[in-house]
Amino acid sequence: MFADSRFDYLHSVRFFLSYTATPVYWVADMPARTSELFDDVFVSHSDLLAENERLNNELLLAQRELQVLASLASENSRLRAVSEAVRIVEGEVLAAEIVNRSPDRASKRVLINRGALQGVFVGQAMLAADGLMGQVVEVMPRSSWVLLVSDPLHVTPVEVNRNGERALARGMRGAADELELEFVTQTQDVRAGDLLVSSGMGQIFPKNFPVADVISVNNDPGQDFAVIKARPRAEINSTRHVMLLIPPSVDEMPVPDAEAPSSEVQP
Amino acid sequence: MKSRSYAYWVVIISLFLAYLLAIVPLPDWAMNWRPQWVLMFVFYWTMALPYRVGLGFAWAAGLLLDVLEGTMLGLNALTLLIVAYVTLSLHQRLRMYNPIQQSGLLFILALVALGLSHWLRVISGQIEPVDSMYLLAAFSSAAIWPALFSLLRSLRRGFINN
Repeated sequence: MFADSRFDYLHSVRFFLSYTATPVYWVADMPARTSELFDDVFVSHSDLLAENERLNNELLLAQRELQVLASLASENSRLRAVSEAVRIVEGEVLAAEIVNRSPDRASKRVLINRGALQGVFVGQAMLAADGLMGQVVEVMPRSSWVLLVSDPLHVTPVEVNRNGERALARGMRGAADELELEFVTQTQDVRAGDLLVSSGMGQIFPKNFPVADVISVNNDPGQDFAVIKARPRAEINSTRHVMLLIPPSVDEMPVPDAEAPSSEVQP
Repeated sequence: MKSRSYAYWVVIISLFLAYLLAIVPLPDWAMNWRPQWVLMFVFYWTMALPYRVGLGFAWAAGLLLDVLEGTMLGLNALTLLIVAYVTLSLHQRLRMYNPIQQSGLLFILALVALGLSHWLRVISGQIEPVDSMYLLAAFSSAAIWPALFSLLRSLRRGFINN
């Protein structure tokens, strides 16, 4: 036990033992898969039509927003060419499904149905459609454990979308799926309702991906730092379909332009 | 000879069931009440078949549970080893008890196992300490024991003739 937590050589042992675990996970996930199958098979014509209409409407809305985003993106890229800031990594994604969760309430981890055979690696970022979910902490042959952003041991580097104030969002202790902003001084400008996006520091999560909404800010003069709570954007307890971010390989990485004007003063 | 090979299969298949019950997702309110299925099955089989199911078996069962739950390798192996050791040393007396008395001992064993594994995970930095509600699983394990005992006993009598 001590050896496993402190040294590396047991990882391969654990990896091979995981082969025996796969059938158990597979059977344990059967009820969920069966209910999905039944949902797919026994669905009425009118339901399908209604869903089709709803999806079409959503597509229209999404396309309109995409237009707005495109104009923003072009403006953004012009600005970035000047400031030479961190680029958004636009990698591909690997679709995955959440098949189980940690049986222990103290650790907020979920099991996904993609593993080393599909190219998952430790530290890979997991996203849901509406926000950041977590990162891979353990890889098995056909499944992996993902530490959620709401785990007390998980710290997400974030920034306030409105003004770029940076902070660290740590999962809240206890049952609530909330985040706590750490080390934010009382003078920093964070308000309830602000959107927190990932800041891209730490190099694990993509930059500017929504993480959480600030729900309360408490400035207690007796405390050193403000007490700020936020709720994750992703529906952590109900989402089943997630994405794993595949970072671009090294030779595809954007190389900083040599001719871009540099305003930094070298020390 | 035949009954011997049977015995192992019955034990292994019943343990597979215990693993399923141990990891199947439950709603939030029920998480703390999930009985310690694998612990109860190991408790039963070491009591019923002490010459076939021993410490090595308990250790291996715990190791597989570690892999399933994604905890440190050896954590559940250690707690199940303790459970199996106590059961083995008391098995003759335990067989004389009625199921209610057995669930008294099971309660204490489950409490020790839960507390030890939580404590070890906290000091190794795997989790942050939480409230003590996780100990409720010992109550539910003890409550469900008499039913599980009669079920497993009929299973054993059907398949294994000592």
